[in-house]
Amino acid sequence: MLRILIVCLGCFLGGAVNANDAITSSMLAPLAEKSLLLDITSIQQKKLVAVGERGHVLLSVDGNNWQQVSVPTQETLTSVFFINNLVGWAVGHNSTILKTTNGGNNWHLQYSNPSLQKPLLDIVFKDPFHGVAVGAYGQFLRTIDGGKTWLSEFHEEFLLEEDKAFLDELKVDDEEAYFDERESILPHFNRIISDGRTTYLVGEIGLIAKSNDLGLTWTKFDEIYRGSFFDLSRTHEGNLVVAGLRGHVFRSLKNGTPWQESKTDTTSLLNSIVLSDEGRIFILGNNGVILESHDDGHSFVLKMQPDGKSLIAGVWFNNRIVAVSDVGIKNIFMNSSGFNY
Amino acid sequence: MAINSSSNNHSSKSTQNVLFKMRSFVLFLFAVITAFLLYQASQIKLDASFTKNIPLQHSYMKTYLKHQENFGGANNILISVCDSEGDIFNESFFNTLKGVHDQLFFIPGIDRTQVKSLFSPSTRFVEIVEDGFAGGPVIPANFTANKAGLNIVKGNIEKAGIVGRIVSDDYSCAMVNASLMEVNPETGEKLDSISIAEQLETQIRAKFEKNNISIHIIGFAKMVGDVANGAKSVVTFFGIAIAITAIMVYFFCRSVKLTILPIACSFVAVVWQMGMLSTLGYGLDPMSILIPFLIFAIGVSHGVQMINSVKKLVSKGKTSLEAAQISFAALLIPGGIALLSDTVGFLTLLSIDIGIIRELAIAASLGVAMIILTNLVLLPLLVSLIRISPTVEKKVKSSPKNYGVQDTSKKTIWDFIANFATKGPASFILIFTSFLFIFGYINSQNMKIGELHAGAPALHETSRYNQDTFLITNRYAISVDYMSVIVETTPDACTQYKIMNVIDQFQWRMENVPGVQSAISLASVAKIVNAGYNEGNAKWRVLSKNQQTLVQSIARVPSSSGLLNNNCSAMPVILFLDDHKAETINRVVDAVKLNASELNNEELTFNLASGPVGVMAATNEAVKEAQLPMMLYVYGAVIILCLLSFRSIKATISVVVPLYIVSILAQWLMTALDIGLTVSTLPVIALGVGIGVDYGIYILSTMNEKLKNGATVKAAYHAALTERGSAVIITGITLAIGVSTWLFSDLKFQVDMGIVLTFMFLVNMFAAVVILPAIAAFLWKDKK
Repeated sequence: MLRILIVCLGCFLGGAVNANDAITSSMLAPLAEKSLLLDITSIQQKKLVAVGERGHVLLSVDGNNWQQVSVPTQETLTSVFFINNLVGWAVGHNSTILKTTNGGNNWHLQYSNPSLQKPLLDIVFKDPFHGVAVGAYGQFLRTIDGGKTWLSEFHEEFLLEEDKAFLDELKVDDEEAYFDERESILPHFNRIISDGRTTYLVGEIGLIAKSNDLGLTWTKFDEIYRGSFFDLSRTHEGNLVVAGLRGHVFRSLKNGTPWQESKTDTTSLLNSIVLSDEGRIFILGNNGVILESHDDGHSFVLKMQPDGKSLIAGVWFNNRIVAVSDVGIKNIFMNSSGFNY
Repeated sequence: MAINSSSNNHSSKSTQNVLFKMRSFVLFLFAVITAFLLYQASQIKLDASFTKNIPLQHSYMKTYLKHQENFGGANNILISVCDSEGDIFNESFFNTLKGVHDQLFFIPGIDRTQVKSLFSPSTRFVEIVEDGFAGGPVIPANFTANKAGLNIVKGNIEKAGIVGRIVSDDYSCAMVNASLMEVNPETGEKLDSISIAEQLETQIRAKFEKNNISIHIIGFAKMVGDVANGAKSVVTFFGIAIAITAIMVYFFCRSVKLTILPIACSFVAVVWQMGMLSTLGYGLDPMSILIPFLIFAIGVSHGVQMINSVKKLVSKGKTSLEAAQISFAALLIPGGIALLSDTVGFLTLLSIDIGIIRELAIAASLGVAMIILTNLVLLPLLVSLIRISPTVEKKVKSSPKNYGVQDTSKKTIWDFIANFATKGPASFILIFTSFLFIFGYINSQNMKIGELHAGAPALHETSRYNQDTFLITNRYAISVDYMSVIVETTPDACTQYKIMNVIDQFQWRMENVPGVQSAISLASVAKIVNAGYNEGNAKWRVLSKNQQTLVQSIARVPSSSGLLNNNCSAMPVILFLDDHKAETINRVVDAVKLNASELNNEELTFNLASGPVGVMAATNEAVKEAQLPMMLYVYGAVIILCLLSFRSIKATISVVVPLYIVSILAQWLMTALDIGLTVSTLPVIALGVGIGVDYGIYILSTMNEKLKNGATVKAAYHAALTERGSAVIITGITLAIGVSTWLFSDLKFQVDMGIVLTFMFLVNMFAAVVILPAIAAFLWKDKK
């Protein structure tokens, strides 16, 4: 009897470990490269890394052949960033942060916070030690040690005036309710981009802000649109282009001038701005939308992809766009005459 | 009970005396019963109910029936209206589409709330705007079919995300779909699929298909209608089969009267069989509609034995009454045994748990039992009444031109064939047969189970229905080959992340199985809805761990979507497959079983299966499981009957071994012709064995008697050939004629059945004439 008990105990333990493994490690699946992928980056034009749902991380050196690598999470990963050819991070739901130090071949879990029930949506590093991860409801995490420790920040400068007053009142009356409210009162931070010294943040309710100290203090731009923005980019000529909900694209010349809206002929959500190495700007959107500009973002031509799939992020790689979509990797050739195939 | 033993002759004779003395009364009785059953037969209905086709006791089908009410919804009609010139955006197309929509709406039995097309108010687009959702009907209230109006509709179609479902991928077609109700609201009776199909044909296709606009209709009711129509056309084949058979019999007996009698008696057997079926409350379905052919052919073949005997006796100078009495006594036992073994063979099909096969078994065994009465009793009684015309008698007796010549030539043929029963030729035959058997056996191992071809398996690939199916599956993102795995869990389970996450994991694992094209479940839809609530941002396409958010994303999915029941304690994961080939189904079913065993827990289980392919999977498994027992039962029945009647193991071996070889060769034929083992071909093997045994029984009953009297095998076989040889050959040919007309059927499974049965009837005949004596040559030692 005792022997049976011991054997069974072993079974239970074995089972628990296996079950645990199944939950914490991503599953290698033949269709991973055709699953929902949410971000892609190129490491010095030599290697591509794409991330997406179920903890899918895929690597490629040519954009055509992809190799899935196992990572210690099954959470949906929303963004990936490399500071050099070896060191990078990926973030996702459950405030998950993964790090690699060998160019994406192996990843380890640096941070996760399931109790918050919020996703991280983007991550940026200034150098291998100093970085910021941002996400839904104003989630803001900072590290100064390459991600060993992450500390949360609450950026009340993004509160609306009336919300700020409401929070101040609540803090006095009911501290618990105050902390509860703080969890969801800030807008979503959709994208954070570091451009030399300047860091830009775009997000919900028309949020565009910049910072000269990697996000310790922020300066908000005046509201130009009350919908969400999803990407911002500095163009070849040094102008700023921002793209967002319902086909909205705005441009500001050399940092200073007021934002000008560019006509786009689409009402689809615009996800990502891609700069080609020969001066063109592409903006990828839902429903197969690609906007192409030959004049540094002043005007755009709408190029619909026939399959109508959502193009979520992309990079310029070997004279084409390698994009990720709800059906995985897509290689999109955009020749200069505007005819795509 | 051994054949021709004196006691048997005695009992046959006493029966014969009573019968023939009371023949007027007996004939009157036959006439009354025939009149009654003819009336009953005229009331028989074509019955193509769906549940008859499936193994109801199979565990998959129990799951299917349990959730049928929620996820059944399989009884849909899809009508694709296509423009062969460019796209749908022109005025005449939109007018036609509206016409089809309105017409369909008014067909009784169509669920009017579920008629869906571009013109239904429920076809709406939703777009995400700065402060939430905005939307409207795809075709606005003020729509006019001009360029501007059509442009607006085109834009709305794209926003609504209905390309691939309501509008084809290439914009050349638009869909009108509807589901059917259980009962006809006008009559209150169960909905008649066949009449719905007819109305679709006359009121939709005939009315709207013109110029460059084509109408493509698919759906279970339409398929049933087309199958029923195809089944009706077999009546023509029945006429053809009767005509050819009559000519054959005439050439055999050279007498109009002797031709008409067995054919009329066999026809009476068919009437009785159909009348009895109708009286017992059964209908004819597309499979059992073939049984009358078989009954007729079996009836004629036994009738031929009877007139063969009568003719020979008349030629020896007996009167027709004497000839009839003697033939009756001589044939009642072997004929009765043969027919009894047919009946028992068919009855073994009752062990298969598929309604349509059971009804086939009942129809066939009833019919064969009827033949015992009509062709072994009624026929000799009728023969005794007629005067066989002197010319025939003369011809039979002495005409050197006809019978005489035939007889001598036959004799030389029989002399030659009788050599098969000597050891030299017999060794050659057995060696050749062994090679054939081994080769056939190896190849028959590759016989596939299930449907091997695309489209609705009952119909030809070239049929309009299947062509329409191919068009719709090609141009839309619609697949008709899907299987639902039903998740059974606790009430309100869809509001729990941990449960939805398991469903999502299962779906993803299944999507990675080769053969699965795509999949959908409440979990995958909830993820898309969640992204919708977040401005359409794909980064939110997840199952929210926050219960309120999860509820919000599920609340938008109605239970009418077929993705959940009312309290979401049951949710299907619908797997769309590449095709419904047996190997695809097996692979997917195995993967479902494996993943279910890994993911099932106390709170949820994954259960096979619903959907058309789920039904096929269950049917395939049932057919596969039934194959061996069915063969064992049929052979068991045949062996026991042979042992009882011949009281000889040697005789039994001589009859059964050729039969088994032919069954294996038939399976080889099926493999070679890409005919799968299905609900329709499985019973064919039993029918082929049950009927194929007749030849052997007729030949051996004579041989056995002679061998017992000390004749050599060759002499015994020669005697059997002269007595029964030509009748056996005629039997084989009449049977083959009866079933070979099925080759021209509109229904694919009837063609398959026709091929296999024709093969089995003919080759069993050859085997009885060639292999049987060769085996006998080695089993019996000649007493010299």
